[in-house]
Amino acid sequence: MTFKAFIFGLLASFGFPWLVAVVIPFAKMRSLEPVKFAEGSDQSGPYIPARDGRVTEGSKIYGQEGCATCHTQVIRPTYAGNDIHREGWAGLQASLDNPDTRRATFANDFRGEKVAHIGMSRVGPDLANLGRRLETHLKGDGQTPLEWVMLHLYNPRSTPNYADNQTIPDRSSCPSKNGLFNVVPDYQGRGGALKVEAPEGKAVVPTDRARALASYLVSLKKDMLNQPVPASLNTNPKAAASAK
Amino acid sequence: MAETTSIADTQDIELRASIDRSLRHPVMFFFTSGAVWLALAIVLGLVASAKKHSPEFLECFSFLDAGKVDAAHMSALVYGWGAQAAFGMIIWFMARLSRKTCTASGTILFAGHLWNFGVMVGVGFILAGEGSGVAYMEFPMPVWPVLFFAFILITVWSLIQFQVRDAGHVYVSQWYLLAAMLWFPWVFITAWFFVFVLDGNPVMVAGIASWFKATLFLLFFLPVALASAYYLAPKVTGGPVHSYNLALFGFWALAFLGPWAGMQKLMGAPIPQFLPYAGAAAMVLILIPAIAVGVNILKTVIGQTDVVAQSPSLRFTAFGVVAFVIFGVLSCGLHTTNALKMVQFSYTGYGMDILGLYGVFSLCAFGAIYFIVPRITRREWLSRRFIRWHYYLSLYGVAAIVVCAIVGGVMQGAGIEDVSQPFGTMSRFASSYGWGVTLAWGFLLFANLFFCLHLLLMWARLGRRSSHPTLLKSHHASNPHGPDGEVDNYDTPTASSAH
Repeated sequence: MTFKAFIFGLLASFGFPWLVAVVIPFAKMRSLEPVKFAEGSDQSGPYIPARDGRVTEGSKIYGQEGCATCHTQVIRPTYAGNDIHREGWAGLQASLDNPDTRRATFANDFRGEKVAHIGMSRVGPDLANLGRRLETHLKGDGQTPLEWVMLHLYNPRSTPNYADNQTIPDRSSCPSKNGLFNVVPDYQGRGGALKVEAPEGKAVVPTDRARALASYLVSLKKDMLNQPVPASLNTNPKAAASAK
Repeated sequence: MAETTSIADTQDIELRASIDRSLRHPVMFFFTSGAVWLALAIVLGLVASAKKHSPEFLECFSFLDAGKVDAAHMSALVYGWGAQAAFGMIIWFMARLSRKTCTASGTILFAGHLWNFGVMVGVGFILAGEGSGVAYMEFPMPVWPVLFFAFILITVWSLIQFQVRDAGHVYVSQWYLLAAMLWFPWVFITAWFFVFVLDGNPVMVAGIASWFKATLFLLFFLPVALASAYYLAPKVTGGPVHSYNLALFGFWALAFLGPWAGMQKLMGAPIPQFLPYAGAAAMVLILIPAIAVGVNILKTVIGQTDVVAQSPSLRFTAFGVVAFVIFGVLSCGLHTTNALKMVQFSYTGYGMDILGLYGVFSLCAFGAIYFIVPRITRREWLSRRFIRWHYYLSLYGVAAIVVCAIVGGVMQGAGIEDVSQPFGTMSRFASSYGWGVTLAWGFLLFANLFFCLHLLLMWARLGRRSSHPTLLKSHHASNPHGPDGEVDNYDTPTASSAH
């Protein structure tokens, strides 16, 4: 093997996959066609799930705090896993109030984020639909999803360990993010303090990072409430049709 | 005739001694600072693992909360220890194999400090919650160019040495070293550019970061480890590599498969569907180079089991190569479509990372360090017992982490896939294996205490002034490195030792 042949071999064996698996897919994915509703259906135009809240900023903090180590944000299609069938993870099942909105993750779900937090492992549950799950779960509890998330960030073991729409009486193994909160002197009429036990005369208030992160977490929703999923994303078209 | 041989030998010994002298400071710097980073990485790993099953552990320190500490642990392990050990190995092996002294040790030493500074800033920012937030590339954006610049300053001299060497045989180790030196900047710059500079689709950015992590191991750490194995196995046993063709095959198999790996982590995520499948296929096929290299190295040393048992370098190296074969077998089994469904998001991935970085790379690096350090310090290792403890604790530590993380991960993954089970049950179930991982990091911490202390003593030039290498046996009946003599005399089977 001559040195020239060696270098050529290295360039070719690395260069080809580099082009095909990195550069070209990257370029192609910069301008994706939006997913549209089928012609002739009740809905028309592109399907863009609504996201509100401090998405870009919150997503960055989510990454910096390392949430992606234990939480994923991806609902894999059925060929790659059973995520869609976990209750609440992928959307809402058909009911009297809404059509079946369960679907796998698609590229537009990460709109406004710098990097998609696909996640490394599932020590904790998937968060792709956290916002909607909390809304459903907390209905009638008098607690908003934002309040729940704040309490969970401050002390995960103060909120009921909630996964799969089941309240598990056991403790959560999520670490506390108490570094995102300040303990400050309390005064009458102070707003925004957490409803937690604090030392006498003190109140626990979220920092701006905590607010951004919480706002991002409750923005994680797989569906537009009461809106059907376009046929091309729907994994269960029959259920959606029968719900109408 | 005999006289010419002895003159040639003397010149040879002098050349080797001058090469060692020229590289003494940078190589020792990389090894010692690497070992200190390794100790830190292990402590962080212990904390990170403990927090997975006991979240209240060290809760009062918000900079040590889970997630951040995980990222700091892996970054310290990869860039603090791994990369620096690799640099030390690259520059020493390349100089010895090209038979050229190093003329830029001052620059390399400076670049080494720069690298350390970059890693320190990076880890500091991660713990302060100011990392980049990109999984597997957590250092903040400005740190990467500094590391790249340092890398170029460290390795460019080795490329030059290779270019200006006297024409002759190119050794198997040199292919691996050259390839690693070319792959690293390519992978590094690509990942940095696509992740941090260009504005891409967020899913593809995550995909490229996963690709970066996988290729950094397969195309940088692994080749450096294999270069060391291909250097030490024939050197210490005094025989040639078992099969040149098999070595060629193993090298090119890795070169063709490695660049495809990584995106299997995004199986089912919205990126072009062939990418995760290509990644999974590459990880399945990695068994091929693993077997080729494994057979080749083990066949080289197999006839001389007593040499392997006695030489610390060869013991570590042989176990590193065995770990590579195990890595290949597990990777083949765990990346089939059905298995990947379960293990994609479980502890298993961590187990494989540690098997690769600690089981394959670090053990080969320890082997190289036990070989190189006495030559550049001109002192022998002080304590046989320290080496032995380091060896056994490392062996059991890595094995325990890998077994707990992989078995626990498969069970955890299978549980998550079974939708009839509530999710929480599974994570509780897996946490008992987490205890095993924590305990195993404890073993490795002890292992590294022995190693680090021993290395620092050598650095302080407190090693034994002896011409006998430190062998793991109680007496010096026969010396596998050749006859006793000057420190430089026993590392090559020279004409005088051929009898």
